[in-house]
Amino acid sequence: MNGAIHGARRLRAASAGNGVLGVLIVLLIGLTLGMGQLEPLFRALFPDLGNPLYARDSFLNLMLAHIGLVLMSSLISVTIGVAAGLFVTRPVGREFEPMVSSLAAIGQTFPPAAVLAIAVPLAGFGFAPTIIALSLYGLLPVIQNTIAGLGTVPQTTLEAARGNGMNRWQILRRVELPLAMPVIIAGIRISVIVNIGTATIGSTVGAKSLGTPLIAGLVGNNLAYVIQGALLVGLLAIVTDLLFERLERRYSFGG
Amino acid sequence: MASAASHQWVGNRVLMTLLVAAVASVGLLPFASLSPNRLASGQSVMLWQALASWQLAALALIGIALLIAALAKPMGPRASQWLALAATLPLLALDFYGLGDYAHRALVDASPAARVSQGATFWILLLVSALIAIDALQRLRLGLTRRALYGALALAVIGVCFSGELLAPLSIMREFANQEENFVDQLIRHLLLVGGALLPALLVGLPLGLLANRRARLRNGLFSVLNVFQTLPSIAVFGLLIAPLSALGRAVPWLGDLGVSGIGVAPAIIALVLYSLLPIVRNTYSGLAGVSSGALEAARGMGMTPRQILWQVEIPLALPVILSGLRIVTVQAIGLVVVAALIGAGGFGAFIFQGLGQYAIDLVLLGAIPTIVLAVIADFVLQILVGLSRPPGTRQENTA
Amino acid sequence: MIELQGLTKSYAGTNVVDDVSLTLETGEFGVLIGPSGCGKSTTLKMINRLVPLSGGRIILNGDDVTDLPAEQLRRRIGYAIQSTGLFPHWSVAQNIATVPQLLKWPKSRIDDRVDELMAMFHLDPVEFRHKYPHQLSGGQAQRVGVARALAADPEMLLMDEPFGAVDPLTREVLQAELKRVHQQTGKTIVFVTHDMDEALQLATRIALLNGGRLVQYDRPIEMMVKPADDFVREFIGQADLGLKLLSRRWVHQYQRAPSLEHHATLPGLDHCWQLDDAGRPVALEGARLDDDHGVTPVKAEWTAKPEMSLKEALSRMVWYRVMVLPVVDDAGKLIGEIGMQGIMGIQAEAEGRVS
Repeated sequence: MNGAIHGARRLRAASAGNGVLGVLIVLLIGLTLGMGQLEPLFRALFPDLGNPLYARDSFLNLMLAHIGLVLMSSLISVTIGVAAGLFVTRPVGREFEPMVSSLAAIGQTFPPAAVLAIAVPLAGFGFAPTIIALSLYGLLPVIQNTIAGLGTVPQTTLEAARGNGMNRWQILRRVELPLAMPVIIAGIRISVIVNIGTATIGSTVGAKSLGTPLIAGLVGNNLAYVIQGALLVGLLAIVTDLLFERLERRYSFGG
Repeated sequence: MASAASHQWVGNRVLMTLLVAAVASVGLLPFASLSPNRLASGQSVMLWQALASWQLAALALIGIALLIAALAKPMGPRASQWLALAATLPLLALDFYGLGDYAHRALVDASPAARVSQGATFWILLLVSALIAIDALQRLRLGLTRRALYGALALAVIGVCFSGELLAPLSIMREFANQEENFVDQLIRHLLLVGGALLPALLVGLPLGLLANRRARLRNGLFSVLNVFQTLPSIAVFGLLIAPLSALGRAVPWLGDLGVSGIGVAPAIIALVLYSLLPIVRNTYSGLAGVSSGALEAARGMGMTPRQILWQVEIPLALPVILSGLRIVTVQAIGLVVVAALIGAGGFGAFIFQGLGQYAIDLVLLGAIPTIVLAVIADFVLQILVGLSRPPGTRQENTA
Repeated sequence: MIELQGLTKSYAGTNVVDDVSLTLETGEFGVLIGPSGCGKSTTLKMINRLVPLSGGRIILNGDDVTDLPAEQLRRRIGYAIQSTGLFPHWSVAQNIATVPQLLKWPKSRIDDRVDELMAMFHLDPVEFRHKYPHQLSGGQAQRVGVARALAADPEMLLMDEPFGAVDPLTREVLQAELKRVHQQTGKTIVFVTHDMDEALQLATRIALLNGGRLVQYDRPIEMMVKPADDFVREFIGQADLGLKLLSRRWVHQYQRAPSLEHHATLPGLDHCWQLDDAGRPVALEGARLDDDHGVTPVKAEWTAKPEMSLKEALSRMVWYRVMVLPVVDDAGKLIGEIGMQGIMGIQAEAEGRVS
């Protein structure tokens, strides 16, 4: 009975979470498409400003550019990161595991903004350095969590799988990956959230993103631009985080 | 293990891989670049063009030593690892010396505006030496003192390279010479911002962590709220704080006199505190939650007061976890202060964004590299602190 | 002396301890026993107020425990729990010194007390003083836990399944040690266990609880021979009740003078002991299960000591196939003998001569 009450409470909490997520998604889409409708509001808030609405580009374009940056770099990070994590946990690559682990740990102490800045002399200004910096930086939590996640699979479970006649590939696909999935997804979540933030600063190295109006506002002393950019990028980050939270919950077994 | 048979002639595949990467980089990527002035892009100079012949010979010798260390045959594994570790120091020295020496020679009859900068191969050789050292140290399982000794030696090598005039003609060092006073100011400012954010974050976060441990009802709500701040991009938080703070600074004059305004230090510190709270609160909570219930029951049963239990049992046992939180937060704050430069808070970020605005790469690096070094040092120091805070009895929990 | 009067504890309207009253005299070893969830641990924890009382009173040596500040009360009562609850960040010596330090004893007195306790529990101070809990075996950690509970010379000792997590062999050793320490110190002990053999081994009084109620409070022997109801009978275990009884009887209670010459009047049981110059038994003539007249050399393994239980004596008789054991003192001198008839006769005896 206790369990039922607990379950019901959790269900209620989950549906409340759904409600919040729904509202935020609607808000995100609405603001992206309809920021222009708010012009009177910004005009009232900032009467001193000549142009209280960022108009050099549509917010939809900026949002898509931002998502594109993050999506592309995350795709690279996840592909390379999971592959590297798998490689160093197989017998072939085990020798590389300590090295890769300490590299991932040390690399994450590097500030993302500094990594972005360092990419500039290597790749010039614009889209390329941002993608390089985001992918490199996003790689690290993915590798780290892939190694950690595969490491949490109990030895007895692996032995049981071997004892039941599964081959290495079957063990990986049916036992190790499903059990490691929540931890791997948590790594991807960290990576994506950090990248959403770093992509915002990407506009300082010339990549178009939601940071563009924000930085333009900071440079040109236009608070309205700052708020418009910050609001959208903040919403994007929160919505993404909540979506990942649900994904993580879906892949966790009982734990 | 199965693959060992096919690679029997290679004793250390990690070292071999690093060696191959280094050779590829030497063959394909520039070691330095020579440009006519500060802002123009330069012309690539490969390693063999930059180094004097004796330097090339020395580099070849180091390469051969590393190759022998990577192979299984002539030496045993331990001797190989010592050899690899020993080879990293001359490699490090040669990387710096070669670059500095080249700059001296290249700039002798060039215009005063001409600049020499380091290229990709320089960085890769630096990285490769570090990775070889890390690999060797891990394989040798050296104790903390001997690791520290190696670290000191490597630092001494770098220190010697930087102390004289050797690297002075390099573009980034000239930039540093131009900015030297400003550099020290921004370093201090950067550190003050980090410290100014961490102190209030600890003052608020530690009690909140204790509260989360004592009141289960509060915990979830508290963590979700703090998690939102961690999720928001830093620049967005900085930006969103501008309007309310400038309004506050105008509305309450004495706050304005104190420096509370939309841009500058106030929003930076507030945002950094908000960012720092989650790791501090979470680690304080989980450190306290990790104290075994048996120890707590025994403490209560023997007549310790709640205050004695907190100070004599809970805090000493939770301290390593709490300090790990501080470590995360410190490294994070050092990075976030960079972004705070965009709202005029200063710090190394000022160099980065000024450099990006002027297309002055050396200025960008003058901000970025010290920030990274600062973060790595802070991480290292706090890691040692975490180790020291671990009382000898807690290295392995007795669950019997 | 400790008195529980109408002790009650309720959680959410359910009485997990329901009107329990009992008195334990100073120096006695009381065991609270019962199936899991019977309220035995809760009862114990109400004594030092780790669990607040819902009703009833607890009188410790004339003081109502609720009148004392909780911390002060707890420092008067030693407390040892399962899995020791040792502080992992403190050395063995620091752990033992916990309560004396809380009571602000001078350092030299604390050091002396720690040494004394370590000696009492056979822990070499030189070796163990500076060890940390994770460096101890389960049995050693448990000894430190009990030593810590005794450190400030408390008026009584509460023990909550202290040997619940150690292996059976260590458990037996620890039980024997606890019994010795109890006899040496004369401390009043309240001990919680779910293991009837442990209770019978240690207790001078057993309180059997079920569903929060006290079912029977008696001396161990009485509980076995006069169980209050079927639950008690079942909980004690009918199958080997005889052996359990034997485990509560001691050789010195039933030994008789040794037979030093043959008695033709006892056919089949006729036997006599051969002694050496020092009065130690060398051989037994007769009284073998298989051979009435054989001569059996006496081995140390099958001699009996006065403090040995009859259960163990019987076990030796069966194993070495003899009808009688020599009872020897610490020097090995023959001081008596214990025979199969004596053991078989106990059921018929009056129940007055119990330990």
